[in-house]
Amino acid sequence: MRAELIELTTPLSRDYRAVVRLIVGGIAESLDFAFDEVDDLQLAVERLLAEAGQTGSVNISFELGPRSVRTRVGPLRERTIADALQGPPPAPGELNLRRILEAVVDSYGVEDAADGAIYVRLEKVREAR
Amino acid sequence: MRQSRTRSPSEAAKARKQDRLLLRRYHLDGDTTAREELIERHLPLVRSLARRYAGRGESLEDIEQVGAIGLIKAIDRFELEREVSLATYATPNVVGEIKRHFRDKGWSIRVPRALQELNASMSNAIDRLTGRLGRSPSIAEIAAELKSTPEEVLEALEVGSAYSTVSLSTGPGGEEALDPMETIGEEDEGFDQMETRTALEPALGHLPEREREILRMRFNEGLPQTQIADRVGLSQMHVSRLIRKSLSTMRDELA
Repeated sequence: MRAELIELTTPLSRDYRAVVRLIVGGIAESLDFAFDEVDDLQLAVERLLAEAGQTGSVNISFELGPRSVRTRVGPLRERTIADALQGPPPAPGELNLRRILEAVVDSYGVEDAADGAIYVRLEKVREAR
Repeated sequence: MRQSRTRSPSEAAKARKQDRLLLRRYHLDGDTTAREELIERHLPLVRSLARRYAGRGESLEDIEQVGAIGLIKAIDRFELEREVSLATYATPNVVGEIKRHFRDKGWSIRVPRALQELNASMSNAIDRLTGRLGRSPSIAEIAAELKSTPEEVLEALEVGSAYSTVSLSTGPGGEEALDPMETIGEEDEGFDQMETRTALEPALGHLPEREREILRMRFNEGLPQTQIADRVGLSQMHVSRLIRKSLSTMRDELA
């Protein structure tokens, strides 16, 4: 059973977003994700990083399964991200980070870390063909 | 085929007067339908300006979208006491937005021509494969279709994804390449000052109707890109770009 781990540490600065997107794309491609699935995962990570501010750095790990990837992003110090993801569901028609993640990944979760920081887990599964 | 004709002086004066009325309705009464009408009325100007930048490795439609952002900024920032027509005021904003877009991408400087061409052919290839396979193609399938490699496809997608948040919030310090007129009305602020918020809702109303509709279909109806592309008559790749661009625009609006 395939379970490989790829880890990356990157500055949160937007200057590195394109690099992160390329890496996420490469990882998704290695699992033979479809174009829209690759795009979804890139968008999920990109939006998460966009909400996390621009200072400091963040770790991103990718755990590759046979046809899925579990992405873990953190530590993130913006409590608003956890609040958005753990709080009440958005009202109908409301668009926030939670609504976006619900649309583009199969599941997500929030883990508490030290110093009030959090890690966000995203799981994306390749559709059967 | 788009048609254009020159307005007579009286028609031009009438159009300017109508613009004034709409600007007053929008800025004084908060009438967003007036704003929408202003956008629609001046899209031909955006198209005309965008055509000047065609043939640089990016689709005309994409350039028009970028130019439309400049138009919207011009409408939003127009000061009623200005003794200038909206078209005159908007032109440098639209051109500035397009130039900044190309500059931020470094398209003509850093991106090899082969990658530009690959990007340009990608959209059709994805739609062709989607039709043939009945599903969204994998990156490897796109690469095979274009006689390329998955790595090159990913790179080309990245250079073509274009609408990174950078292009919409570059600070005024980076405007040296623009003519003075082209920076009129620019008030972009540094991203560092951005307050983190996760509710994008307040900025949704500032997007063009089509983008709002695409976001609604994707995130409220949960439709996949392929279905949205069918509904709005765009390529899947273009839908993807519009979603990304819209979210970045909204995020920057909240900065």
